[in-house]
Amino acid sequence: MRLNLMLLAAVLASAFYLVHVQYESRRLYTAIDRAQAQSLRLAADHEQLQVHKREGAASARVQKLALSQLQMHPVNPAITQYVVLPKADAQPQEGAR
Amino acid sequence: MNEPADQRPSRSINYGASPLLASKTPVWRSKFIVAALALAFAGLAGRAIYVQVFGNEFFQRQGEVRFARTLELPANRGRILDRNGLLLASSVVAQSIWAIPEDVDKNHPKLRELAKLLDMPLADLKKRLANEDKTFVWIQRQVDEPVAKQIAALDIKGIYQRREYKRQYPEGEAAAHVVGFTNVEDRGQEGVELAFNQQLAGKNGSRRVIKDRMGRVVEDVRDVIPPVDGPDLQLSIDSKVQFFAYEKLREAVQQHKARAGSAVVLDVQTGEVLALANYPSYNPNKRIHLSGEQLRNRALTDSFEPGSTMKPFIAALALEKGMVKPGTPIHTAPGRITIGGSTISDSHPNDVLTVAEVIQKSSNVGTVKLAMQMSPREMWETYAQAGFGQKPALPFPGAVSGRLRPYKTWRPIEQATMSYGYGLSASLFQMAQAYTVFARDGELVPVTLRKTDTPVSGVRVFSPQHAVAVRKMLHLATGPGGTAPRAQTMGYSVGGKTGTARKQEGKGYASNRYRSWFVGLAPVEQPRIVVAVMVDEPANGVFYGGLVAAPVFSQTVQQTLRILGVQPDMSVKPLIVTEAVEESF
Repeated sequence: MRLNLMLLAAVLASAFYLVHVQYESRRLYTAIDRAQAQSLRLAADHEQLQVHKREGAASARVQKLALSQLQMHPVNPAITQYVVLPKADAQPQEGAR
Repeated sequence: MNEPADQRPSRSINYGASPLLASKTPVWRSKFIVAALALAFAGLAGRAIYVQVFGNEFFQRQGEVRFARTLELPANRGRILDRNGLLLASSVVAQSIWAIPEDVDKNHPKLRELAKLLDMPLADLKKRLANEDKTFVWIQRQVDEPVAKQIAALDIKGIYQRREYKRQYPEGEAAAHVVGFTNVEDRGQEGVELAFNQQLAGKNGSRRVIKDRMGRVVEDVRDVIPPVDGPDLQLSIDSKVQFFAYEKLREAVQQHKARAGSAVVLDVQTGEVLALANYPSYNPNKRIHLSGEQLRNRALTDSFEPGSTMKPFIAALALEKGMVKPGTPIHTAPGRITIGGSTISDSHPNDVLTVAEVIQKSSNVGTVKLAMQMSPREMWETYAQAGFGQKPALPFPGAVSGRLRPYKTWRPIEQATMSYGYGLSASLFQMAQAYTVFARDGELVPVTLRKTDTPVSGVRVFSPQHAVAVRKMLHLATGPGGTAPRAQTMGYSVGGKTGTARKQEGKGYASNRYRSWFVGLAPVEQPRIVVAVMVDEPANGVFYGGLVAAPVFSQTVQQTLRILGVQPDMSVKPLIVTEAVEESF
């Protein structure tokens, strides 16, 4: 009789634990799902920012700002100095003034 | 008032004395109950066996229909990058606004605000929502993220958003014709987007999930099939060179009030296309009210008579055949020659010119005299080897082959006119590629739009010494006494040939409509690039290739060589000659 009661208690405990584990697993699964969605969203934001950055640095915009705001003018060979690296890997290097 | 217990009236029934108990229950009753229960259990067991074994698939399916959903995992379209890894095209998330018309309150106070955010008249919005038979109506596709957030904040019942991808082109109109664009379904429509659509598209994935009643995903039914994103595509285009070429071309077209213009820059060591610009262009990010004129990638899809830019090929062939040397004199006086009843003339008659001077001063008569000593077949073969009459080996939509008729059908006058670029046609891109023959010491270089770092081997057309000799003639053409001193550029030696071709009009040629060309290479000793420029119908009084197209060449060459890190091969303050000789056309 006592054994039966113990077994019944064990079965009940196991059943409750099973329900709990199932609940926990679904909860964790939803959390992973949400995290993945978040990671996708962040990746999309990252891409969007990359595009913004590129738009900001596009040649057309840079030239316009350089000409109008900074009163700069395009580089030409007359104002370009070419320096030679002193070491073995002495490849002609371009350096604009 | 206490009464004895046995004298109190009895309140309970004495069941023990019930006569019902006295009678014996028939045995069949209990057996019946047991049998009934057994039958019920057997029924349940049978049903369980049916559900679990025989009807299992059906019930599984029905269960899935109610809770399982297949979610598509869209693959991200590959990015398009320039040769330095800078973005030319990329997909960003954009929300598309849709509605269930039946659920939307047509008099909702916030509808006006929604219409304003979407930049559409309220009447249009209401018209879209009017058809209540439909359960799905697009309101606007691919709305920018900040606007989408404001729309979500309005919280109008029946208005929903769907996540989609929108293509962004940071370089704008400068690279529009090369990169092209996609439609709302993210499929390539023009340019590289169309040419490499399959490769860029990637492969969508999917996952089968179970959703709970709140719509949350709670379990995967099977393994997720992950989306395969399209790989990035790195082009040979240099966005800075592209921008400079476009900018200078735009300035020239506007200055000369021309209809259009194109420019092509090729790296002759690798065959890479560094820039391919056309004007008028368009902003691929805002494509409303686009015209065919803006969309045309003229450098590849339009073919024209190239005019005098063909003359160097005749000179090279004459050298190759041993007919002449660069210093061989040719009598071009009195500046005209009659062939088969037709007269060909120079617009500025000369007397005796050497072969080199024929190219330098662009003499039609001198070129025709050289060409008429050749057989049509030899000429045709040289032209064909230089790529004329054949489509460039570029996977580009709409690239044309130009026109080079079979030599057997050539009449003498046609052979004569073809020697100076009339009676055949080529695209600007073909001209640029053909000039790699002179830049690469006699080899035609195969071209590519994909980045490559290794030099390619070409197909030999002329021997190296003759190609070098023609290169010197091209250099002369840009020097004092040449047709294009304006092609000179500070710091770098250049060589090239002008072309000023009358445009066809009906069956003849227009008297005042021209196409100005300049195709050249730099630096002359060890060419690194070929640049070809064409300006269509300059209408501001100046129309010679040496005056209209050559300055664009000059500026493009200087910036391109500087960007490529090529050291100047000339003193940085060269003498720029300002007196040009007008060429024949």
